Amino acid sequence: MRLRHLRDRSLALGCLVGVWMASAQIAGPTVVPGPFATLDALCRMAGQAAYWASIAQSLRVFAMAFGLAALLAIPCGIGFALVPRLGRAMEPFVFALAATPRVAFVPLLIVLLGLGDPAKVALVFLGASIPILLNTWAGVRHADPDLVEMARAVGVSRWQRVAWVILPAALPMMVTGLRLGATIGLINTVVAELYTAIGGLGGLLARYGASFRMAEYMAIVVTLSVVGVVISSGLYHLEKFVKHRME
Amino acid sequence: MTLAPPAISFQDVAQVFATKSGPLTALGGVNLEVAQHEFVAVLGPSGCGKSTLLRLTSGLMMPSAGQITVLGLPVTRPREDVGIVFQQPTLLPWASVEENVVFPVKHTKGRVGPAHRDRAREILETVGLGGFGKRLPGELSGGMQQRVGIARALFLNPDLLMMDEPFSALDALTRDEMGYELLRLWQASPKTVMFITHSIPEAVLLADRVLVMSERPGRVIADLKVPLGRPRSEESLRAPEVQEFAAHLRSLLIKPAKPSPKPEAA
Ligand SMILES: Nc1ncnc2c1ncn2[C@@H]1O[C@H](COP(=O)(O)OP(=O)(O)O)[C@@H](O)[C@H]1O
Ligand SMILES: [Mg+2]
Repeated sequence: MRLRHLRDRSLALGCLVGVWMASAQIAGPTVVPGPFATLDALCRMAGQAAYWASIAQSLRVFAMAFGLAALLAIPCGIGFALVPRLGRAMEPFVFALAATPRVAFVPLLIVLLGLGDPAKVALVFLGASIPILLNTWAGVRHADPDLVEMARAVGVSRWQRVAWVILPAALPMMVTGLRLGATIGLINTVVAELYTAIGGLGGLLARYGASFRMAEYMAIVVTLSVVGVVISSGLYHLEKFVKHRME
Repeated sequence: MTLAPPAISFQDVAQVFATKSGPLTALGGVNLEVAQHEFVAVLGPSGCGKSTLLRLTSGLMMPSAGQITVLGLPVTRPREDVGIVFQQPTLLPWASVEENVVFPVKHTKGRVGPAHRDRAREILETVGLGGFGKRLPGELSGGMQQRVGIARALFLNPDLLMMDEPFSALDALTRDEMGYELLRLWQASPKTVMFITHSIPEAVLLADRVLVMSERPGRVIADLKVPLGRPRSEESLRAPEVQEFAAHLRSLLIKPAKPSPKPEAA
């Protein structure tokens, strides 16, 4: 079973690499470097400290913003759900923010916070916090009312019900929010770095792209995709574990 | 000589809900009394206010009008000596069977002592779930989950047990089995039970007395003693007078078709 999956996936990978090679042939290696040129560039860069420093810098921005988003959006989501009046008051504004492309804030954030980490962290925060907030909110609001009534019936106080029934029931949705927030946060990290064109993997992308060093550019794209896959599949497995355990 | 107060007493209890389409009278003037150690079944069409009746008795909500007392005291909030079994098992899916059973003390007293653990194991044994304490609810069948719900309700040895259509979510076979199980449990330790159901055989098998409710707004339209002694068994239901009683209940529940309120315009 697993072996068959592995075989199918290798086949799919082969096809994708084939398409990649074909486009490199058609467009010419100066525009689209082939897989071997990319691999070669990747190996070269992996030997340089600057490459790893860029990864670390991107991850630092991402981690700070994501941590901040989780720290603020989870309590806000819980509060909005537990105090429906507050939730109703905030709802249109949260949805308006959710519907606004976060990139629209880039110029504003750069004017406000400059080109350094604070502006990047702010943009990533704006992206990551919305799904965390919305999912926490929905999870708490839709916590099984039968369970809540049962707890009330056996004399559990309101805060104890929140702590031991409502929040555990909302946990799977919160983790889903974290996973979605992380995915959007990663995208926004690169977007922020591209716009400021300083630092991190996005900064390298901007630099290599502008100077037509396409093999290095491709190598950074591959790096971004690996980082993205590692982080989101980690959170995906956490989500699966939590859902399995809590539902 | 002072008489023991009735376990449950309702005096002119009405319940009106505010809904989007205006006030909805769920219960319109209910009077009833349940003696201590009596098993009373409440039978009525769905939507007639049976669950509302149970919520009011359990102190989960306050009536719009009227007086409710439980064991002589006016109901103001849920009390420890009233156990409730809901239509759904309502178990915490992340907590083991045993944790679910001790839940009523865990977050009210703050600590679950060894005596509580022993009691939980004992009550699980009683409902036929000895050895399942460490399992998660999701690993059990619907019938077993409902047994956990019953064990949780009995855990604090309540004087009053309220059951809201506890077996209606189960398949027919399990449902019968659970009925006999409850009969056995009750005969071993008779306590006051208010058992809500819309199954006539279930009501007849289990109850000393059957209260029949009208359609909404719910009222008690009949209060009938079940013509059966105890102990009872599967065979008890076959007696002709019992069959006749069941038929009478059916006739109270199933009204002759009403003339349609508004004739179709041609
Ligand atoms: N909290 C509530 N708010 C508004 N209407 C309610 C509420 N609870 C019950 N009702 C209504 O009251 C009526 C009786 O409900 P219920 O007691 O659940 O009936 P039963 O248990 O007999 O099926 C139904 O019409 C139901 O829609
Ligand atoms: Mg009901």
